[in-house]
Amino acid sequence: MTQADISKNPTSNHKKNKVLVDFLGSMNLAVTLLVMLSIASVVGTVLKQDQTTQDYVIKFGPFWSEVFNSLGLFHVYGAAWFVLVLLFLLLSTSVCVTRNTPTFIKDMKQYNEKLSLNALKHQPNHATFDSESNLESEVQRAQNLLKHNGYKTKIHQRDDGSVTVAGLKGRWNRLGYFFTHISIIVICIGALLDSNLLLKYRELTGKLVPETRTVSLDKVPQTAWMGPENLSFRGTVNVPEGQKTDVLFLPYENGYLVQKLPFTVEVKDFRIEYYDTGMPKSFESDLILTAPDLDKPIEKTIAVNHPLYYKNYAIYQSSFGDGGSILNLKVHPLLSPVENAIDLKTAVNKTEPLKTPIGRFNVEINDFRLFNMVPATEAEKAETGKKFHNNGPSIIFKVRNEQGKAWEYDNYMMPNLQEGRWFFMTGVRTMNSEPFRYLFIPADANKEKTRFFKFLALINNPVETNKILTESFPKTDQITDKTYELQIRLMRQLLSLFRSKGFDGISEFVSKNVPKEEQEKVSDYYFSQTSFALQSLYLSVLKKEGRQIGHDQDISDFNKRWFEDALNAFNGLSRFGPPMYFELKSFKQIQSTGLQITKSPGKDVVYFGSAMLIIGVFFLFYMRQKRIWVHIQNKQSGDSTDNQSTEITVAGRDKKHLPETEIEFNALVDQIQQPVKQTD
Amino acid sequence: MHTNSVTNEFNSSEKKYFDLRNIAWAIFVIASSLIAWNQYGSLMDYYEDTILAGATIGLIWLGMKWRSFQPAAIAVALLSLLAIYTYQMHGDHITANEQAFFLKYLVSSQSAIMWMNALFVLATITYFFALYQKSDFTGKVATSMVWTAAVFGLVGMMVRWRESYIINTDYGHIPVSSLYEVFILFVVITALIYLYYEQKYKTRTLGGFVMLVVSAAVGFILWYTFDKGANVIQPLVPALKSWWMKIHVPANFIGYGSFSIAAMVGLAYLISSKLAQKNPENGFVKRMPSLELMDDLMYKSISLGFAFFTIATVLGAMWAAEAWGGYWSWDPKETWALIVWLNYAAWLHIRMSKGWRGTPMAWWALIGLLVTTFAFLGVNMFLSGLHSYGEL
Ligand code: HEM
Repeated sequence: MTQADISKNPTSNHKKNKVLVDFLGSMNLAVTLLVMLSIASVVGTVLKQDQTTQDYVIKFGPFWSEVFNSLGLFHVYGAAWFVLVLLFLLLSTSVCVTRNTPTFIKDMKQYNEKLSLNALKHQPNHATFDSESNLESEVQRAQNLLKHNGYKTKIHQRDDGSVTVAGLKGRWNRLGYFFTHISIIVICIGALLDSNLLLKYRELTGKLVPETRTVSLDKVPQTAWMGPENLSFRGTVNVPEGQKTDVLFLPYENGYLVQKLPFTVEVKDFRIEYYDTGMPKSFESDLILTAPDLDKPIEKTIAVNHPLYYKNYAIYQSSFGDGGSILNLKVHPLLSPVENAIDLKTAVNKTEPLKTPIGRFNVEINDFRLFNMVPATEAEKAETGKKFHNNGPSIIFKVRNEQGKAWEYDNYMMPNLQEGRWFFMTGVRTMNSEPFRYLFIPADANKEKTRFFKFLALINNPVETNKILTESFPKTDQITDKTYELQIRLMRQLLSLFRSKGFDGISEFVSKNVPKEEQEKVSDYYFSQTSFALQSLYLSVLKKEGRQIGHDQDISDFNKRWFEDALNAFNGLSRFGPPMYFELKSFKQIQSTGLQITKSPGKDVVYFGSAMLIIGVFFLFYMRQKRIWVHIQNKQSGDSTDNQSTEITVAGRDKKHLPETEIEFNALVDQIQQPVKQTD
Repeated sequence: MHTNSVTNEFNSSEKKYFDLRNIAWAIFVIASSLIAWNQYGSLMDYYEDTILAGATIGLIWLGMKWRSFQPAAIAVALLSLLAIYTYQMHGDHITANEQAFFLKYLVSSQSAIMWMNALFVLATITYFFALYQKSDFTGKVATSMVWTAAVFGLVGMMVRWRESYIINTDYGHIPVSSLYEVFILFVVITALIYLYYEQKYKTRTLGGFVMLVVSAAVGFILWYTFDKGANVIQPLVPALKSWWMKIHVPANFIGYGSFSIAAMVGLAYLISSKLAQKNPENGFVKRMPSLELMDDLMYKSISLGFAFFTIATVLGAMWAAEAWGGYWSWDPKETWALIVWLNYAAWLHIRMSKGWRGTPMAWWALIGLLVTTFAFLGVNMFLSGLHSYGEL
């Protein structure tokens, strides 16, 4: 009934239309469209959508990325041909429903009680037998039996005196067809309401130009703004705690649009809670929504899965970030011969220019993290029972030199326990794709970095170093003044080599400047000299702290380990980028919440359609439309009519021909036949 | 003959719904729900009350429609209570699952799930053995293994639910959120739907085929447990804390389960029809159900799957609307659900319009399983998206 029957005379216009309608409403087209949609969807999921052009060129080469692009494969779900397939499906379904409506409605209402006996005998199931009861009682019984079996019945008295009891069951099956197929139309309309057709239209007519730069709002041209005429949208905005917004950013193609909102959202507070695993447990924002037509602002706390609904709008908790936390930093110059750290008061998302003796730098503060959760060690787990360990606050920032080269850092505020010792961690990398390499600055007895920077400044200071070295290695009589001078100078040079290039620097120097056969001996000597020099400086640092007096006195284990750790850290400094260390002294955290705000007039339409679809599908599958006819006529014996016995024809038709159809039919026939047998 | 057995089934299908046993069943379910509500009602919100009420009605209906479900459900309830009680006796410490005998060897979620795994694999072998041996008795043994496995699986889930709260009240959630958990749901639901059809069509010969999929899933569960430690109970990420999840996921798995059964019946169909072409008197062919019956079974389980998959997709869209702010984002998981759905819609239409039956539809059902498997597993493995909770 739904297949295109090719008309016999295609010349007239009417016939042509019929061919077209038949084609559009044909199940073949429907199935083709369904399969096309599936394949397009597969492409859309396998090819990453909406990436930048460069990404595609890297992946597929210039030729294929051009071909794919012109086919719309990088934005499948917005591609013209995809929308066309959808529209065709919509059209096809509409035609299908329109065309089937009259017949199906008839089919639901009619009992087809007037079918001739001959027609009954051509039904898929039929049986004929005799009965000893009279016509009236058989009619009565047939009707009761059908009703008992759930059929609605209608009795038709024929002109020849025979009677047909027609039964119909499960006619809601047809309703199921209407529900499912109309629901497809409804859902498509809802989706259309929520689509960005208006934006596309405005863009085509040149009235809309998405903004691609990151600029402040007042610099965004009017052509990238949207007002209340935009009936449906979905965008995001980051709002720092304590601030408000009445605009929204809609991602559009490779840029964004700014949507003006008819209300203002203020973020009072944003909170994250964590599980003991360190995983976030909940994100919440306290919002205050004010609008001109509201007597009283709406106050609500939103969380993931718990948005705020206001009129047609919904406000979701979607992400979070730093809203410009205020940071007090101390910048330690790492090459300075004296300790002269400078204070820097800044905030996340700010860029600070720094003028230093070794050039100008820009410091870009990217992020502040209050918590840094890392898996706990086994020992810790046993002690605290927690699986994760909080490393405390850290800042993430970039230092960029005049040539544009940048080093990214991850500096922790508090020391962390590593193998029983406390260290301040600072990570560095020069490429986003790399992991951070961490430098461990050993904490002194007060869990501070004071000693470390004192020691460092001392190494950087040639005058002090000279003094300490001459004090530590007084000239003996065995050597000449000149040799002594040379020896002290060598130590100072070694120190400065170590300071700028680490132990590797010394080895490198040896392998470059010393004949091969002497290298081992010389490098052993150099290392021991460096080490002596460093030890002497260290002792003087300790002495200044008032801890250690002479060479011979035992150095505590802690101080020994500290020395080794400090050397490791100095050694690493050579690969640490520009010689500055940014210490986080204090902070005031300001978080920002990422809100997603949507206006979706089609949503309720889609939901309504979906409900229809579900109900319809169940009707289609679980209501079987079945018809039964029981035709009863007085038995002809010779040429007179025998009023006592009757001939009964039972016929049946099941819309879905299932294996059980025949069995059920036979069972019904048995029931109708049974009392007849008893009278035998 | 099959026709006979089917006849008997349909003759006896005029069951009385309100006999003593069913009334007792209804009372049992209502009483259990009331007890649960009395215990936990104060912690439940409006939606959870609704879900409990819905579950009660659903269980009553299911038990009435399918009586064999009643004893299984009671067994699940008793064993779960035993586990919960044993935990309580051990001060509600999770370590009890290593100390208490019952927990350690039988009903802690991990043990129950291991029993389930073992029984499913054994049942697969037993079904094929019964087919080979033509033994009714062996077939019955296989069926009881599947029942027992399903009971253990459900117990495992119930106890896991409780354990998640015992470990840390913060972690507590119904176990339908991680890939590991839904795999258990998948094998249990597939087994139950299969058992229903087995009973309805009075044939055990398809059991081995259906249990092939189940055993494959069990293989995955074992690998996932021992290689990845996926059985460890993790807390929920905020996006999964939604009551939609509680109905979306089970509905989805009724869909996946039914589609798997259809595919495996399709496989049996293809083998059977191939052998019948060569030799209609082939012993295997004669033991298998008629081709017509298998074709119909395929249709029925695809219908069931399609209906529930429709519900699941709609619920998924509603959940997405609440969690991500849009009911449809063309996220890979969503899109693949649509692909699966369109595929079976096309299957149903072709069957109706072209009147295709048998071999092509069986092939299509079998390929449909590949599509379904990709939607279920492949998306999590190969495509990233918002549904990233189930990454391997
Ligand atoms: C996404 C689109 C569609 C979906 C999800 C859908 C779904 C369904 C379902 C589930 C059935 C029941 C199949 C069964 O009982 O075995 C059905 C039947 C049917 N469909 Fe569709 N359909 C869609 C599009 C169409 C289109 C475009 C047409 C027009 C050619 C169409 C025509 C029919 C017809 C005529 C029936 C048979 C109704 C009956 O006799 O009971 N469908 N559809």
